[in-house]
Amino acid sequence: MLQPGKAVKVTIYLSDGATHHGAPLYSSILDFLFYRGVAGATVTKGIAGFGADHHMHAAHVVEISDRLPIKIEFIESREKVESLLGKLEELAGSGLIEMQETTVAKPAQPSKPNTPLTPEHLKIEGKAQMMRIFVSEEDRWKSKPLHEALVEAMRANDLAGVTVYRGILGYGAHRRLHKDKPLVSSHHGSIMLSAIDTADKLRAFLPIVDQMVAEGLVVFSDVDIVKYAYRALETEKETAPITPIQN
Amino acid sequence: MKEQFTARMLRVHFGEDDRWHGKPLHEAILSKCMELGIAEAVVFRGIEGYGSASRIRHATHWPLSKDAPIQMSIIDTVEQIGKLTPWLDSMVEEGLVAASAVEVIRYSQKQ
Repeated sequence: MLQPGKAVKVTIYLSDGATHHGAPLYSSILDFLFYRGVAGATVTKGIAGFGADHHMHAAHVVEISDRLPIKIEFIESREKVESLLGKLEELAGSGLIEMQETTVAKPAQPSKPNTPLTPEHLKIEGKAQMMRIFVSEEDRWKSKPLHEALVEAMRANDLAGVTVYRGILGYGAHRRLHKDKPLVSSHHGSIMLSAIDTADKLRAFLPIVDQMVAEGLVVFSDVDIVKYAYRALETEKETAPITPIQN
Repeated sequence: MKEQFTARMLRVHFGEDDRWHGKPLHEAILSKCMELGIAEAVVFRGIEGYGSASRIRHATHWPLSKDAPIQMSIIDTVEQIGKLTPWLDSMVEEGLVAASAVEVIRYSQKQ
């Protein structure tokens, strides 16, 4: 967080056409500053200018130049700027980087006070398992789409989370193999559900999968959970009532 | 019918505009999987990503843009996957193939 007093203002001059790994260079630099926790940064686009190559770049009425000057500015403490400078020089390439001493009269305040929504994040670290279930989009369970029923069943059984993916092509246990028409069109989609939880909880859920899935494949693999954070129910109460799961 | 066995899962990552002998690469790999009798193969289209070529792939203008990231999940026994990997070596010019050991339960209604 920026404090009132001495600081450094950094200005980087780029050409709009410049790219970095296929993305506009200014957005790569902006991302870099953002994820390195810089207090704020502004990108402005010039309407005309020239640089080291002494070519005049201007936006004409008939032709919009893609080489207009771009300026990125940010203000940070000297230590922070120095820690960023090496990478910035590398990113800016042929562009100019300027630094000037400045004084922060009043630092900007975050628009919302940064009070954490949950004081405690539940964090499970370590060994867990990933369960992937491959079924077909047309599969039904008690007249509702099987994948939706599985998601509801997982929620009702307190599995930590599940994500449903729709494939664009595929075949497998859930689909009869059409040898004459091998590639079935995409609206007969393959569905993959991917759920992660402890091995015990996933094994406990298996009898339900047995009942619900008539044709399909269930795949288990070991994973390491690096981070698991969720918003506690108490804070959700104010925003939305939790709808009970209908079975 | 329910069978349980140890297997291997491949995840193959490449781009939707990648081709093999003029055919979309994912269709070519899927056909090869069927030909080899691989148990399960599904193609997924990502909405954004980047990979070995360091290009940012977008599917934002889908269906106009075809440059979306593709991920294929292929599952079968170690022996069956072993038949496929030499093919992947020659078919995937730019991409990533990741393998992991998995345990599989297969439900089928075969008589």
